Amino acid sequence: MNVIEAINLTKTYTETSVPVHALNAVDLQIKKGEFTAVVGPSGSGKTTLLNIIGGLDNPTSGTVIINGTDISTYSDSQMVNFRLNNIGFVFQSYNLIPVLTAKENVEFIMLLQKEEKMKMENRTFQLLERVGLHDQVNKRPNQLSGGQQQRVAVARALASRPSFILADEPTANLDTASTENLLDLMAEMNSEEEATFIFATHDQRVINKARRVITLEDGKIVSDRAQ
Amino acid sequence: MITAISWRNIWRSKGRSLVVIGAIAVGIWALIFLVGFMNAWLVTYVKNQIKYESAHLQVHHPRFKKDYEVIYTIKSNNKVLADLIKKEEVRALAHRSISNGMIASPRKAGGVQIKGIVPDEEIALNRIDSFISEGSYFQNVKRNPIVIGYKLAEKLKVKLRSKVVLTLQDKDGQIVSGAFRICGILKSSFPSINELNVQVRQNDLNRLLGIGNDYHEIAVLLKSNVDATLFSEGLRIEHSELMIEDWKQLAPEMEYFLESSAGFIWVLQIIIMISLIFGIINTMLMSVLERFKELGMLMAVGMEKSRIFRMIMTETLFLAIIGSPIGLLLAWLTIAWFGSHGMDLSNYSQGLEMYGYDNVLYPVVPPGSYFQVIAGVFLTAILGAIYPAIKAIRLKPIEALHKI
Repeated sequence: MNVIEAINLTKTYTETSVPVHALNAVDLQIKKGEFTAVVGPSGSGKTTLLNIIGGLDNPTSGTVIINGTDISTYSDSQMVNFRLNNIGFVFQSYNLIPVLTAKENVEFIMLLQKEEKMKMENRTFQLLERVGLHDQVNKRPNQLSGGQQQRVAVARALASRPSFILADEPTANLDTASTENLLDLMAEMNSEEEATFIFATHDQRVINKARRVITLEDGKIVSDRAQ
Repeated sequence: MITAISWRNIWRSKGRSLVVIGAIAVGIWALIFLVGFMNAWLVTYVKNQIKYESAHLQVHHPRFKKDYEVIYTIKSNNKVLADLIKKEEVRALAHRSISNGMIASPRKAGGVQIKGIVPDEEIALNRIDSFISEGSYFQNVKRNPIVIGYKLAEKLKVKLRSKVVLTLQDKDGQIVSGAFRICGILKSSFPSINELNVQVRQNDLNRLLGIGNDYHEIAVLLKSNVDATLFSEGLRIEHSELMIEDWKQLAPEMEYFLESSAGFIWVLQIIIMISLIFGIINTMLMSVLERFKELGMLMAVGMEKSRIFRMIMTETLFLAIIGSPIGLLLAWLTIAWFGSHGMDLSNYSQGLEMYGYDNVLYPVVPPGSYFQVIAGVFLTAILGAIYPAIKAIRLKPIEALHKI
């Protein structure tokens, strides 16, 4: 079953004097449990594609269907709720809440979901243990390294048991060791939790780990291969 | 969690938050001090007006005040004076004869209101003897003593023990004169005492007026817990033959003054609150602008706009909750200190004197005003936070996330 289905997606930015076609008739299906990298040079439309799939941006034309529902029919508040319950985000610059500890950052999403306290705490400790930060639970982001912060971000993204996780250049700010560590972790999560991962990246280390690689150029899919 | 985030957010920029907390504290202090100071003015003014000018109520012949004609007296056999003396609500009273006339010294003359008084009654009524700057209040002069104000003395170019002549109309309309010797000179903060009135013994004035033991006025000071208006209404029923007026009727300008002062306090409060609003808007807006990316992330991961709005409002309320007790404490200490030691405004005594104020004011703030100010400041904080909070929820997560 397709978790994500994008049909004939087009995104054109008209703010500049010359219209920019960020996406041009993109068709895409992602199945549950995939570990997919969307690659391509800067400006190829990777981030735009992830933003539209994640409900953060609207396509100029085309349809995005998530778990069988066309998300363009959602109102603003339905879209917020949809993102909360269906999508985990991992950002390039971690974007943790600086005033919360690692534990609170992970709990935060579940609090928004109004999860029971006991279940929430169990899940938080389980995830933080899984990402290897069980001894750092009470540290704030500024007390953690970049790699540790990104691991908290992965735990946060998984906390809501989303349908899929969108990771936009998750390794761009990490050194090699941290990158390897993070990729191993996400691969393990992918198999253990059956979490669907979609990366936008041009990091060869991420591409090497992915089981499917979709290449974008000038807003078009130029290759889509399993590996 | 929102509460925890809001609380921690306000300490992300300690300096800025402390400035807002300080502004709120100073705002509250200023508002309460202003209320206390204005109340001190009002209380002093009204208290002095009642004590030295109108008393709580006055009793006259119904036609006396129209032209101050001597014949409209309260007869000595009228029971009103005896009735009033018996009433336990009455703290003190004085009955007076009154006539408009001329006072002349060998060098100058002028118009004055002459009051024929019983010295002990006047002292009991308002301690007017405490204003004696030279001489005494009807002591040590056996024949025709007179007490005048220092400004009148300067105008007439007379001194203590100088002789002055009072000229007035008696009950038959005949012009009569009497020579009086100055036994005391008063110096107060009341133009009426300093310049416009003179006091003689009632027997001396009544002899000139030919009214026997009759008199024109009873001034009554009531105990502090007695409502002057209610008391007057009761007395009016008992003595319908007389005109009985409470202080609000005697000096309607005082009530107007009280109302306009209350309005003035409101205007000043609003000005201070508006300044505070702009301070809060400025700070919270900076706080929101600095956190664009973070707010965008919160919205991206599924935080509803209403929660973002609540978070910004809660942050502002926290600043108010911290600033308010500090401001309250400062204000309470200031009011308590000046309330017991007084604010010495003797540098402005000449100006104050013109309007009947004391040189030392004692600020007083009723407990209700503290709550009113706190409510006002919280309202201000809420109003000040609305624009930054709206700015925050209008963010589009995708744009905010790509802000550097």
